Amino acid sequence: MSLGSGESRVAQQRALWSVAKDALAAGDHPTAMRKLATSITPQDGFQAQARVAKLFASLPRASLGLRPLKMAIVANSTVDHFADALRFWLATAGLEAEIYIAPFDTTTQTVLDQSSELYQFKPELVWLFSTFRDVRLDIAAGNNPQMMRTTIDAAIARTTTLWQPLLDRLNCIVIQNNADIPAHDSFGNMAGAAAWGTRTALRLYNAELAIAATASKPSNNVVVFDLDHLASEFGKARWIDSRYWFHSKHAFSFDAVGFVAHAAAQLIAAAKGLSKKCLVIDLDNTIWGGVIGDDGLHGADGGADGGAEGIRLGADAGADGEAFVAFQEYIRQLKARGIIFAVCSKNDLENAQEPFIKHPDMRLRLDDIAVFIANWKSKPDNLREIAVTLNIGLDAMVFVDDNPAEREMVRQQLPEVAVPEMPDDPALFIQALAVGRHFEAVTLSADDLERTRFYRENAERQIERNAFLNSNGNNGNDTSNDTSDDNSNNLAAYLDSLEMIGEVHKIDDANNINLPRAAQLINKSNQFHLTGTRYTEAELRTLVSNKEHSVYCFKLRDRFGDNGLISVVILKQSESALHVDTWVMSCRVLGRTMEEFIFNLVNAAAVERHCKIITGQYIPSAKNKLVSNLYKRLGFDAVMMASSLENDSRQSTRWQRAVSTPTSTPTSTPTSTDQSLHPFLQPLRPLRSSSPPLNLVTHVRTTTVSDR
Amino acid sequence: MKDSPVANANTTEASIRHQMNAIFQTVFDDPSIQIFDAMSAKELEEWDSLSHITLVLAIEESFGIRLKTAEVGGLLNVGELIALVAARTGR
Repeated sequence: MSLGSGESRVAQQRALWSVAKDALAAGDHPTAMRKLATSITPQDGFQAQARVAKLFASLPRASLGLRPLKMAIVANSTVDHFADALRFWLATAGLEAEIYIAPFDTTTQTVLDQSSELYQFKPELVWLFSTFRDVRLDIAAGNNPQMMRTTIDAAIARTTTLWQPLLDRLNCIVIQNNADIPAHDSFGNMAGAAAWGTRTALRLYNAELAIAATASKPSNNVVVFDLDHLASEFGKARWIDSRYWFHSKHAFSFDAVGFVAHAAAQLIAAAKGLSKKCLVIDLDNTIWGGVIGDDGLHGADGGADGGAEGIRLGADAGADGEAFVAFQEYIRQLKARGIIFAVCSKNDLENAQEPFIKHPDMRLRLDDIAVFIANWKSKPDNLREIAVTLNIGLDAMVFVDDNPAEREMVRQQLPEVAVPEMPDDPALFIQALAVGRHFEAVTLSADDLERTRFYRENAERQIERNAFLNSNGNNGNDTSNDTSDDNSNNLAAYLDSLEMIGEVHKIDDANNINLPRAAQLINKSNQFHLTGTRYTEAELRTLVSNKEHSVYCFKLRDRFGDNGLISVVILKQSESALHVDTWVMSCRVLGRTMEEFIFNLVNAAAVERHCKIITGQYIPSAKNKLVSNLYKRLGFDAVMMASSLENDSRQSTRWQRAVSTPTSTPTSTPTSTDQSLHPFLQPLRPLRSSSPPLNLVTHVRTTTVSDR
Repeated sequence: MKDSPVANANTTEASIRHQMNAIFQTVFDDPSIQIFDAMSAKELEEWDSLSHITLVLAIEESFGIRLKTAEVGGLLNVGELIALVAARTGR
């Protein structure tokens, strides 16, 4: 944090606190509360948290519309300052908490003693605020797995023993911290690498704790508070301030107080049924780049450029486009776990819905959307309408809009609606929405599950991955038996598991929708670019009309997503030779046998043109060393050139390879180099598709040969 | 961790005292507080073990220093606080 922004932030906060005090003095308690809430974020340091907690403590709550909550914190550390901040953050989540703090370091006595003040207080929620210090795992270096298991089971039993008395006597919700795994251990890396390591043990403990809590009866009454994850999110290096552990038994840094209190408040609110239910999203510049009404779906389609480029979405639209897809994917996952998803956009309905129906990179579809509102009314009006339509409260809604003016209008007119502050970079949208922890839940209902196939698909993926891993792990723990054969089998199995589908599109006069993006890729590629050639869009248009030229572009998708248009090849025939004039490829798909897939297509094109030989050239540049050996790898022979200087790495090289016909194999071709150097030159694999003929092994399957 | 907001070597004990007074007023939420060297928890009713920590944390942040563990609990009056801050900030 720079001092300047830090100081202006403090000045801003002071101004808001002063307004809050004035509102308090004037008896306008809701305004005072709103000002306090806007003055602070969970990430703010302890001074600000303490200040706001103090102002909140002096605020009468009757007119704030909060739901009362009696909760107890039982801890072997000091939580008084934390409880002050927690009261405030619970209020922002809709709860007015009365908090009983059990005497310090008496957790077990407090819970087991039926006459303790805890039971007299009759809390509806008990937070067992434990830390790693409470999980006593006596594991010696080198302990065997059985001893480890016994020790962890015992620790889990010690923790879970405290749940039943609370559940039996109080009919309450129990929140149980897991272990915040410490940053430092005398064994260093080994603490998390060895089977007997301290971190390994605590990780197992945390996993077992989650399983035990989920299995506890009555169900859903014990909720694990993932303190370890919070510590990681906050930063383990600054999570603990040892001075205040030794001085006064504060278990975590004061600067994490707001962070932990906010996370806890959101979870507790969820346990009390107060978490958000509905996500309302703007469209233009929120889930895609640009304005659909102005930019259109694809922009320049075929003919002359109209200036518009189309909305930015998907890998083909650059980094921004990918970020919007990722944000959509995050929303889709929220929807899949049961969050209602609605759209609220200033647009004509037809324009607004077009991408959902037609754009190939949309992750969200019309049937994902509970209410779709696109009109020119104000956002607050539309949000009210959505709330009525869905029969939910405004306080169950989160509204996401890239436009600060719209956000401000909603905040002012509908203070119940949560409106996250969005950055102006779509790459940060997920984080901006996630830090609010609006959609916490303590359980997953059958309803949630029925609404979605998300978890089921995930589970299926997991099963396949496990099967794939197990098939390679037959040697048990002894990994020293790994052979290179195993490794190449592993690689092949991995590539197959990606379920890659390559698409080949031939660009010509009739099918040139991909031409602008092909030109873009040619002109922005540096690393995987064999010749460094550049073609403008117009030049490319001329080129695709030439009989001797063929221009192909390639798309690749796999089970995890679409990589978009990732490669362009320009071929030029001269007599019986087919020359690779240009070959560019996106580096993100390297190592996927896409090169082999592309070569096979080139070979097929050569067969189609009755060529005998394929030639290529590598022209070194400052950035394309990556592909200096590409042709060699693909079974090409170097062609000696008269002008070549010996051992000059900057010298361009020429390559050639005989065309493989479907009936021939590389072994039979006279120009082929030594087989042992080229592992990809294997006998033909059985074909899953009749064309193009596969003469190099690839794990990319094909669907389309051309658009025709 | 914040950098020291004050890098001016010419500031004196008086400026520390001034800044310290503002911290006391904020932490104890009382603009009428006027500190003096012998002032301790006895003179200020709200100065208990919990607010002592809040006070020390506020001093750390405001002066951009970090007290040692032993010092956190060992500071008994305003004079000691000011002397310690003066020593740490090199004023």
